[in-house]
Amino acid sequence: MHAVIINGSPRIQKNSNTDKILQKFTAGFCKAGNTFELYSLSDRNIWDDARLAFDNNDNIIFALPLFVECVPGLMLEFLETLSSKNSDTKLSFILQSGFAEGAQLRVGEKYLEILTEKLNCTYGGTLTKGNNFGIRVFEGAERDRITEPYKEMGELFAEEGDFFDEKFKTFTGPEMYPLPLRLFIDLLFKTSAKKAYQKIAQQWGCDKPLEYQPYA
Amino acid sequence: MIVIVNTTDNKEISALIQTDLEEKKVEYKIFEADTMNISPCLGCNYCWLKTPGNCMINDDYEQIVKLLAKGGQMWVISDTALGFINHKGKNIYDRLMPIVTMNLEFRDKLMRHIMRYDTRPDVGVIFQGEADKEFLDTWNKKVASNMNSEPLGVYEVNEIREAIACMQ
Repeated sequence: MHAVIINGSPRIQKNSNTDKILQKFTAGFCKAGNTFELYSLSDRNIWDDARLAFDNNDNIIFALPLFVECVPGLMLEFLETLSSKNSDTKLSFILQSGFAEGAQLRVGEKYLEILTEKLNCTYGGTLTKGNNFGIRVFEGAERDRITEPYKEMGELFAEEGDFFDEKFKTFTGPEMYPLPLRLFIDLLFKTSAKKAYQKIAQQWGCDKPLEYQPYA
Repeated sequence: MIVIVNTTDNKEISALIQTDLEEKKVEYKIFEADTMNISPCLGCNYCWLKTPGNCMINDDYEQIVKLLAKGGQMWVISDTALGFINHKGKNIYDRLMPIVTMNLEFRDKLMRHIMRYDTRPDVGVIFQGEADKEFLDTWNKKVASNMNSEPLGVYEVNEIREAIACMQ
């Protein structure tokens, strides 16, 4: 199987969480001898090549971060330049976010179905998963702990050819956290997580509190 | 303050809104974003972690977000593409991130960002062209929910009077 994979993240490739996810996903996908070509839309210089690959292939995976509940504006700009295809072309999606609960991704997921229909293609399902913000700020084993499970998803996609198997649904995790866990996480948000974010900010050269209000 | 961001080249919509809002004697500002320099959000997270509240992109969006930080209403007038608002309209939403902080909390049983300011803009869409209106409405409601504000609804251009009736 050959897949054209288009990374719709506007973030430059070296800082792209979606790219780190794809590194693992493609490692799994290629295990059985499958091949892929990757296009990252953050580099507008490759848009013509990505468009050509979209036109000439029938197994397309779009990977994207959730931006304000839907597709990032930059990716939409690219999508608007695509020609309509036919049902021989299958569009599958990897949708990832910082928010942890599966419920956070459902509106964006719904749009991906609409998008597929608008492009006259066949929908191959969406692999949804949140809690990925840490990919940006962690390195090594800590980052791998978040991204490594995508390898198995790549292997499974290679077997199934789409994202409809129950294992993909399980991969998302809970739709909503149960109340005791919400209370515990809320406590973390108010204490250690807040401190951790401020520490990361300092490492990035920030000299202001994260709640700073420049336009107050 | 009612902030109207017209990302289309249809100035007649703006003119109509302007006439009606003058009559209503409400405070408003119309941005003709089609002729402004507004980039897509790059997802760099600088507005959360490096320069809190400030976008690192130096373009014309700053004058819009400065007003939105004070709450009120944001109306995005957008052309459509692929069943949704087009990328110019979506960019206006994506660039709202500086009024959101990195910090999180649970509201309505879901994880949400804590807003940077005590005042938040309610959000509405006026669109011209073919779109999945039901989805657009669901999406706009979810956006408002995450910003701890109210959805103002989504209106086709031929429903502009209904939208203007909500501008106050």
